[in-house]
Amino acid sequence: MGYQQCVRCVMDTTDPEIVFDEKGQCNHCKSAERAIAKDIIADPIAKQKALQTIVEKIKKDGQGKEYDCLIGVSGGVDSTYVAYKVKELGLRPLAVHVDNGWNSELSVSNIEKALKTLNIDLYTYVLDWNEFKYLQMAFLRASVPDLEIPTDHAINSVLRSMTTKHNIKYMIFGSNINTESILPRRWSHGHQDWGYIQAINKRFGGKELKSFPHLSFWKKIYYRITNRLEIINLLDYLDYSKSGAIEILQKELNWQYYGGKHYESVYTRFVQGYILPNKFNYDKRKAHLSSLIVSGEISRDEAIQDLEKPIYPPDLLEEDLRFVNSKFGITETEFYRLMELPNKEFEDYPSDERSIKYKLIKSMYEFYKGFFKRT
Amino acid sequence: MFRPRVIPCLLLMNSGLVKTIKFQNPQYVGDPINAVKIFNEKSVDELILLDITASMENRKPALNQLSRICSEAFMPLCYGGGVSTLEDISSILSVGFEKVSINNKAIYTPEFISAASSTFGSQSIVVSIDVKKDFWGRYSVAGQRGTKALKLNPVLWAQEVERRGAGELFVNSVDRDGTGIGYDYSLIKMIAEAVDIPVIACGGAGKVNDFTRAIKESGASAVSAGSMFVFHGKHRAVLITFPSEEELKQAFL
Repeated sequence: MGYQQCVRCVMDTTDPEIVFDEKGQCNHCKSAERAIAKDIIADPIAKQKALQTIVEKIKKDGQGKEYDCLIGVSGGVDSTYVAYKVKELGLRPLAVHVDNGWNSELSVSNIEKALKTLNIDLYTYVLDWNEFKYLQMAFLRASVPDLEIPTDHAINSVLRSMTTKHNIKYMIFGSNINTESILPRRWSHGHQDWGYIQAINKRFGGKELKSFPHLSFWKKIYYRITNRLEIINLLDYLDYSKSGAIEILQKELNWQYYGGKHYESVYTRFVQGYILPNKFNYDKRKAHLSSLIVSGEISRDEAIQDLEKPIYPPDLLEEDLRFVNSKFGITETEFYRLMELPNKEFEDYPSDERSIKYKLIKSMYEFYKGFFKRT
Repeated sequence: MFRPRVIPCLLLMNSGLVKTIKFQNPQYVGDPINAVKIFNEKSVDELILLDITASMENRKPALNQLSRICSEAFMPLCYGGGVSTLEDISSILSVGFEKVSINNKAIYTPEFISAASSTFGSQSIVVSIDVKKDFWGRYSVAGQRGTKALKLNPVLWAQEVERRGAGELFVNSVDRDGTGIGYDYSLIKMIAEAVDIPVIACGGAGKVNDFTRAIKESGASAVSAGSMFVFHGKHRAVLITFPSEEELKQAFL
């Protein structure tokens, strides 16, 4: 198959699984359009009402507790805007941050400014770098694009355990359809898959994962059965636009912008700006810009112009490359050798998703769901 | 305008950063390389890095890691922990540290201070003194990571250290460490009045105003703090912070 780019968004054949219709429109923007139609309430009054209902429910359920909801904070736009909004709505959040050893100065000062101004309590979980380093290195050695999965997994696990600890029933996230509706499966997969993380660590890591916060297969099932936790993607109830949010945060919280999506972490910046595009030919900006096209925040032409800009300012790349190697304790030669390894993907390694156990339990679950529906 | 130096003090243990309370219960706070990079971007005046278990474990300074830490910092850096020979000092200075802090070795072999100072110059030799109050409220120098009160008067010891050529004193109050209730002002004052070399106050800082008092009331030349720069709020959430230049100027007006 030759190169092809979608006529509606900017996704292209660098996603090996992309499918185009006869008019040249891809599966990603089509399903994003469906998601917006299905999950975003179009009528402003109904939307406002839905938000009000949720906020009232959170307040009611949280009465008498120290916190009524939990938010994750990274210092980035989405999570900071959630912090700003929940306070405005009169909720009493506990903010949780997972420090994976790659915070930029901007991310920590953004968190500090926002939480101080908004008077929100913070809890930080610091991953043990001596352990986590080997896990991140293992993913590099495994040569998969899923390099950020260990962090995402840990964040999820820490947030979950904090809701249990503080008896919180609501997690409010900054994930949203308007700016994040598109992300090809092949570009990163396995966020919730402890089996996958363990398999990679066993094969390529150097250390046992003793303290790493994780959600095992059984723990997930346990949570699903016992924990009535509700996840609310707050931004989907608002007219969320990224540029609008940035403007408000800069004005109200003295918050500072850091460049690209998720560039508040040095490693994320390096993964998205260097490793993914250079080793795998995955440019996450395409997915992100495509989401913005579908939600109407930018035009396709603007996105194409944006993509022509360098993904990484050369000076910053040089600085980050040196820093990443220094943190991992490897030489530049070793790093480039890792970049040269043949590319692999999720399916090349064992995982919960591919295990018989998972398939069996999933089919049992589907069966029961069907059974209860019938009865 | 000249203003006194404000120096984050970072504690190393098993190659990670920790923070203690009264020298006990080290809590892990992260990777030193990243922390130093963030402090560097926050333009702190200086940094002190102390490997708190090196001496007890009879370990040499971890030069490989120290050199990587150094490459993230443009401000003057001081290292302490397990420094017991002139070669140690030489190798620490050669990876990029400006100053070396000596504690244990100095207590048991005071001549080492003289040798170090005459070899490397007093400007690069800091002597670190941990001080503890006993049951009767008397001060004594504490050895072995602050656990053991020695029969050594801090003021007399400070004077001896100065005589032997130390360029600076780092005075840490064991009882105040990690508490955030303010420095031991009378201790700092006693020592600062007894010597002519600069005294860095450490142990107990909780707010910018504590810096002001240590400098103005107790005569310290510089102030150092740990918890105040790594913890945030009532859950003691790890979050690196440093006062803005404006706040500091205001504090030392």
